[in-house]
Amino acid sequence: MTREDFSILLLTLRVASISTLVILPLGVAAGWALSRGRGAVKQIAETILALPLVLPPTAVGLLLLEMLRRSGPIGRLLDRAGVEVLFTWKAVALATAVMSFPLLVRPVRAAFAEVDPRLLGVARSLGQGRFSVFRRVALPLAWRGILAGAVLAFSRALGEFGATILVAGNIPGRTQTLALAIFHRTQIGQDGSALRLVGVVVALAFLAILATETLERRRSRSAGAPA
Amino acid sequence: MGPSGAGKTSLLEAIAGLRRATGRIAVPGETLLDSAAGVDLPAEKRRIGYVPQDSLLFPHLTVEDNVRFGLAKNGPAAARLFDEVVGILEIGDLLPRYPATLSGGERQRVALARALATRPRLLLLDEPLAALDVALRGRILPYLLRVRDEMRIPFLYVTHNAGEALLLARAVLLLREGRVLASGPVGDVLAAHRVETVDPSASFDNIFDGVLERAPEGDGVGRLATPRGTVLLVPVDPSFPLGRAVFSVAPEDVLLSVRPLEGISARNVFEGIVAGVDRFPSDAIVHVTAGDLAWRAHLTAGSVKDLGLAPGRRVWIAVKTQAFRRLR
Repeated sequence: MTREDFSILLLTLRVASISTLVILPLGVAAGWALSRGRGAVKQIAETILALPLVLPPTAVGLLLLEMLRRSGPIGRLLDRAGVEVLFTWKAVALATAVMSFPLLVRPVRAAFAEVDPRLLGVARSLGQGRFSVFRRVALPLAWRGILAGAVLAFSRALGEFGATILVAGNIPGRTQTLALAIFHRTQIGQDGSALRLVGVVVALAFLAILATETLERRRSRSAGAPA
Repeated sequence: MGPSGAGKTSLLEAIAGLRRATGRIAVPGETLLDSAAGVDLPAEKRRIGYVPQDSLLFPHLTVEDNVRFGLAKNGPAAARLFDEVVGILEIGDLLPRYPATLSGGERQRVALARALATRPRLLLLDEPLAALDVALRGRILPYLLRVRDEMRIPFLYVTHNAGEALLLARAVLLLREGRVLASGPVGDVLAAHRVETVDPSASFDNIFDGVLERAPEGDGVGRLATPRGTVLLVPVDPSFPLGRAVFSVAPEDVLLSVRPLEGISARNVFEGIVAGVDRFPSDAIVHVTAGDLAWRAHLTAGSVKDLGLAPGRRVWIAVKTQAFRRLR
């Protein structure tokens, strides 16, 4: 690995970590709400959340670009606050956050749905308010699902390409992540160095999948109870 | 009490605040729900302990943390309360264990301790013994009596079992299809609505109380003298004290004969008269009066027919000593 490869890897890991940490509390809240809610509102919310999974990433990227450009609805506010997002690492984090959010929410929602609502009722009858019941019963019983969702979202963030290239461009040293660098190097005929990065990506993906599988296996074996 | 689907669990959940309800629910000194006045205290403010049939212990917490879950934070009063409920329910040895490793009877004791640790003003028990086998029921009942008599916490107790009702309750509320069918002293309601209270799948134990003495018949056998002088031969365990005692015997273990019984190994043989027969599709509960005692025997429909059992018929009852279980 060259120095440049290494800095690309670091940038990718940093941006994916920030993106995952930012969406984690939001994803837990959304997963909890979706697991408890019912009716049309829940259906609509679920559909909107699932959109980034089915839309072409470039379409999501273009929508983000339109919102964030100086004349766009969010861009205007950011401009006034003096925050620059487009074509910086923040844009990479934002694009990966949006693209990986549904992958976080799904396992989180499934984990919360597995928690017996009667268990939560008993907790309330023991004098605990809703937040305390969430923190002391629902969260500890669902933590493996939450962790699995976070690993999944992190892996998705590592490989995000389509949305990222539209809002962040492909600026070496600033916004060029592993996925962008691989594309870029093949475009300029450096297949060998691109393959080196592919090796790095494969290693990362391997570790992420291994972590998820291990968590899943432990979850199904102990069915929520610590050994 | 009441048949399945009568609304017993729904009633408990409404009282606990875990199910939306309309109407009025009040305990002495406080209104929990009054739809007309817009009062609906949330479950966590009602101070009502709830012990469901399946315990519902928190699987991720140890027994100790389960019991401490609703305990007011720290302080000497909380420590005393914790020690008191752990002592009464004898779960000291279980404290470091997780619920998954407990037996059904242990789980129910822990669930009871967890509810008691919040010092509820009322305890709701939803068929706490239904998931346990008959032998275990006899071991949990004494704990319920201690909660009632030592902690003086009133409870509403859902059961299909007339024996449990007779042993634990002062008054019974009989539900059917969401309505109150009868209420009043246990004996009166059960006598008037015998069939309503019987779930064919639940046992309908015979309960006898009296004074236990050591018997000349030998080790392991005691004489239980009932208030009006019938003597039952029952098993005794050296660890249980003599004196006032309550025993139960399952109706499956009560044998009936239409001829005098001689040369039989069962040591409790009494002559009696059939007082009534509750018929179900494949089986029946036969009520027999013998001296001062009322017995219930569980027979197949075929036996009832073959023996010609009907009210007024003279019968002999036979029960083995080992069929009796001590409740307290």
